[in-house]
Amino acid sequence: MTWVAWGCLAAAAGSLPLFTANTYYLYVATSVGLLTIVTSGLNVLVGFTGQMSLGHAGFYAIGAYAAAILTTRAGWSAWAAILVAILVAALVGAGVAGAALRVTGPYLAMVTIAFGIIVESLLVEWVSVTGGPGGIFNIPKPSLHAFYWVIMGGAAVSLWLVANLRRSAWGRAFLAVKGSDVAAESLGLSAYYVRIMAFTVSAGFAGAAGGLFTLLNGYVSPDSFTLQTSILFLLALLFGGEGRVAGPVAGSIALTLLPEFLTSLADFRLILYGSLLMCSIYWLPTGVIGALTRRGDSDSGRGGDRDSDRDRDSAGDGDSDRDSDRDRDGDRDNGGGVPLLQVEKASLAFGGVAALSEVTLTVPARGIQAVIGPNGAGKTTLLNALSGFYVPDSGGIRLREVPVAGRPPYAIARLGVARTFQTAQVFGDLSVTENVAVGVAGPRLGSVVAALVGAPWTRAAEARLRRRALALLAEAGLTEWAERPANALPAGLRRRLEIVRALARRPRLLLLDEPAAGLAPAEIAELDAYLARLRDTGGPAVVLVEHHMDLVMAVSDHITVLDYGRVIASGTPEVVRTNPAVIEAYLGASE
Amino acid sequence: MIVQLLVTGIALGSMYGLVALGYHITWVTSRTMNFSQGHAVMAGAVVAFAFYVGLGWPLWAAVLATLVILAALGIGLERVAVRPFFRVASPAWLLSTIACGIIAENVAMLTFGKDARAFPSALTQKPILVGGAGFYAQELLIPVVGLFLMGGVQLFYHRTAYGKQLKAVAYNPEAAGLMGIHIPRAVMCAYGLSALLAGIAGVLLAPVLNVAATMGTIIGLKAFAVAIIGGLNSAPGIMVAGLGYGLVESFVAGYLSTGAREIIGFALVILVLVVRPWGLLGSRPARRV
Amino acid sequence: MRRITLLLLVLAIGCVLPLASQAGEPIKIGLTAAVSGGSAASGEAIKKGLQIAMDEINAKGLLGGRKLELVIRDDEGNPAKGVTIARELVEREKAVAIFGGLHTTVALAQVPVWHELRTPYMGVWAAGTEITRNGKSPNFVFRVSANDDYVDKFLVRYAADTLKKSKPGLLLENTAWGQSNEAGLNKYLGQKTIKPVGTEKFNWNDPDMSPQLLRLKNAGADHVILVGNAPEAAQVVKSRAKIGWEIPMVSHWGVSGGRFAELTGDLSDGVVFFQTYSFFGKQNERGQYVLKALKDKYGVKGPEEIIAPVGVANAYDGLHLVAVAIEQAGATDGVKLRDALENLKAEHKGLIKTYKRPFTPDQHDALTDEDYVLVVWKGGQIVPVAMK
Repeated sequence: MTWVAWGCLAAAAGSLPLFTANTYYLYVATSVGLLTIVTSGLNVLVGFTGQMSLGHAGFYAIGAYAAAILTTRAGWSAWAAILVAILVAALVGAGVAGAALRVTGPYLAMVTIAFGIIVESLLVEWVSVTGGPGGIFNIPKPSLHAFYWVIMGGAAVSLWLVANLRRSAWGRAFLAVKGSDVAAESLGLSAYYVRIMAFTVSAGFAGAAGGLFTLLNGYVSPDSFTLQTSILFLLALLFGGEGRVAGPVAGSIALTLLPEFLTSLADFRLILYGSLLMCSIYWLPTGVIGALTRRGDSDSGRGGDRDSDRDRDSAGDGDSDRDSDRDRDGDRDNGGGVPLLQVEKASLAFGGVAALSEVTLTVPARGIQAVIGPNGAGKTTLLNALSGFYVPDSGGIRLREVPVAGRPPYAIARLGVARTFQTAQVFGDLSVTENVAVGVAGPRLGSVVAALVGAPWTRAAEARLRRRALALLAEAGLTEWAERPANALPAGLRRRLEIVRALARRPRLLLLDEPAAGLAPAEIAELDAYLARLRDTGGPAVVLVEHHMDLVMAVSDHITVLDYGRVIASGTPEVVRTNPAVIEAYLGASE
Repeated sequence: MIVQLLVTGIALGSMYGLVALGYHITWVTSRTMNFSQGHAVMAGAVVAFAFYVGLGWPLWAAVLATLVILAALGIGLERVAVRPFFRVASPAWLLSTIACGIIAENVAMLTFGKDARAFPSALTQKPILVGGAGFYAQELLIPVVGLFLMGGVQLFYHRTAYGKQLKAVAYNPEAAGLMGIHIPRAVMCAYGLSALLAGIAGVLLAPVLNVAATMGTIIGLKAFAVAIIGGLNSAPGIMVAGLGYGLVESFVAGYLSTGAREIIGFALVILVLVVRPWGLLGSRPARRV
Repeated sequence: MRRITLLLLVLAIGCVLPLASQAGEPIKIGLTAAVSGGSAASGEAIKKGLQIAMDEINAKGLLGGRKLELVIRDDEGNPAKGVTIARELVEREKAVAIFGGLHTTVALAQVPVWHELRTPYMGVWAAGTEITRNGKSPNFVFRVSANDDYVDKFLVRYAADTLKKSKPGLLLENTAWGQSNEAGLNKYLGQKTIKPVGTEKFNWNDPDMSPQLLRLKNAGADHVILVGNAPEAAQVVKSRAKIGWEIPMVSHWGVSGGRFAELTGDLSDGVVFFQTYSFFGKQNERGQYVLKALKDKYGVKGPEEIIAPVGVANAYDGLHLVAVAIEQAGATDGVKLRDALENLKAEHKGLIKTYKRPFTPDQHDALTDEDYVLVVWKGGQIVPVAMK
């Protein structure tokens, strides 16, 4: 269905010059094209990665002026100038991102606004380079009729690049960071770095559009690159529908044509424009494309429709099993001697309340360790400390003799630690398969340029990723949900997905935070069997935080009991069960 | 020269701080804000002009009418542009307030007119000359009123029961609601108060800046910067940041050039955020894992 | 599926409908100006001037009774929008001549478009020198307005020869207009071997220019040459009073562009500037007619209520010249109209002056510094000043 829509659009764009030599229409169409290029890039940042920017006119300006200066002062050819425009804009984008992305929300908005204004002011002040407020005029430009095709081609290429990106590991990484940056970090992705990459890509797109703008118009001046321009970019994207590949097109068409329809209204024009925007924000909260497509029919899960049948058949075959066998053998050699995880007198307080008090814990390379205790005992805090989300105030945590306390979560994840969360953190915008694929790939994302162009070697890697992901899904019994968006899963299956995704990392240590919460008794029994199977077939060491005593007693090899942040008992299930301190802490409760 | 720059800097800075408090108040109660706060400043000046110069009312009556109307506008804005999106994790309120700003500016242009008008005031007739520097009495009045109001807002939050309730909403809306605080009303009051402060700033600035439909945008933007670098959830931080920013602007314009003013001003904003990401006195929102 | 088809249909209709509207009998004159934003008041003035002239012309009509029709588009001071509007006015609205030129950057951006579409353009405000001196031949850009080059020559002549001052401080707005004048002023000052003691800039909406004035004062300036619009110029004058610096101030015409007298009270007295035309004082026949029309049509009670009077005057004369050219060419075709404008045969008694072959291939500005009027604010009125 969507192919029909794309086809119509392409036909309309392609045939316009044949229907009319009216340069007004051609010019308006090129404006749509330029806006599409910018908003496609912005989509990567806002739609995919969930960030915000009100300063992209700055990158637009950098691209435009770079092209202007190179073609007029240095006599470069148009194509070379545009290439440099893209690179310079992307470079500056990376720099700005480094500063901006340490914060979120309105703080991030302010940094981007400040950047945009600084660029605009520099354009006015730095007269020797930019020509000052008068700008640079008489830039050699190709004819409108010829350049029309270049810009339309550029818009088409931008959409194609973003579509490729969406289907790649980078695209999934962006959406993962947006969906749950905490979960993404636990899979080895540095959210900061991923966001910087998104920002850089979006800056590059804006720079490209800027260069094309210069060559289209034959002039540049600072009044084309104001805060209003940045706001227009964001409005166009949000109006069209962020997160969808088609969103930028719809938004660009709407926000370019709308003012043109209103031109005859002179004084009331902007009032009407503002009112229409308000109405659209009200009635089309997910943008035009969001309103047009049925729910569940989103871009998620489209990554690989074509290959799905073939992959499902090959899911049980050689490749993936051989890999996991190799791993298990490796671990078996290592097991026994050195403890995997050693926690020594870790203490952590939150504003005067001691969450952990001199907790000491040893986790061997095999087996299931449970951590139990009444509510507020510090169990989740302990897991968060083990996975790097909290830093202990004192004491140490060593993973295979390597001290890891204080390292960021993604670094600890990369050392072979995976986890699940109390509320299942699945990446809602991604399909179930894609969720697992994020786990399989982890931090190995490849080059973003290769992802953008859909290079052949990334396609091969993609195919391997998919096969492994589907194999893991098959083992977990989730195959029928493979192409559905993850937020369509019922709660119990979400947790299962989370575990599968964590295991896709082939971790040495798996931390499970209350995996049985909210499950029906039958499901708990299944979980019990699953964990036992994991242990017996050479899976990772497991640290299990749980409340359900039956599960804990049945499946654990060793139990540590916390109360008010202290370890009050430690030993096998039989020992702990009869320990009077434990019974007292629970007030005799045994669910 | 220094005295000159000091006076201008403190006057403008206190106004940035006052308008910035508006961002703070609504943020703290609802995690949203009126991105077109600057247009509320403009509305204050324009409405006061309409009553004082247009209808010939006495000044105190004009100011009073302005405050009432501004509060009403703030409440109206919250109703139309913010409440539908409150607590939904979408930036829609950002865009809807921007859209309202566009509408406001153009309605002002249609009704008030497109050119700048003078707001007569006894305090801007004759300059006071001290040494080689001169300033209008209005420029001295502005920071006094500004600081007084900012102090008043702080007192309101920390000493009055209702003020403490509003702060509670910020920390934990669910708990506050369970404690009997009427959240929608709290948010509504926040927006009304925020518009009121902006309106006062507009009235105070009108004699100095002249009244124009386009006067609000840049003020709103700089006030936003002040709110951010002060720390959105810290009123004292904002007051300090406001004065600081005003002084920096004034001295840069005085000793370097007006061109450098925006560049250095906003570069400083970025610098502050790099070093202290949540503002000078702001606090990091807790990360729930 | 249905919804997407519907959307595509709507879009398609939306694109086709405008195509369907035809240009009929009336002769369309386009206006591209900033109708919103900071310069909107001046845009209004141009509109008024055009409308008054248009009503006058339409009494008889052109080319056998055809009426003129004004089509206005808002360029928002944005060059990209200006280019879109330029194409729209010519290609879609089929305007035969376009008026405009509030912002120098917009006008400059539009220059290539007029030449590509071969439609004459009449600037009636923006004084940027390169707008008419754009190196194109044939040149489709005409102007009945000031040309910064002439203005700077004029102002320098007054400051240096009449006032006999030799230490100018330049105070300019930080825009393309200011930039254009900086070049011109330096050129003509240089010709008299005078160097400015300082060049200071200010931005739109700046509230206070005391630092700049103090710097000029400390550099020893004995007069200030000002280029700025009314709101900023008002702040300049107020800042000057604030720091107690009494020196002559010579200004570009910006100080007539808004309610300068109202914004400054009696501080406006003594600011010398120039106009292409002044509605104060004794008016010729045309002037009386325009004043009456302003009163009847727009409720303007007297010359002190006219905002941006040069806009009204320039536009009025400009449209009349275009009408004369249309009649002479006997057609509305762009190339013929352009040629007619460049070779106007009949003498035309306009408002600002009597035009005798105002445009030639080398001269596309109808007004030169010979036509400018030096004036000064006095008690809220604009009064002519003698230039020796």
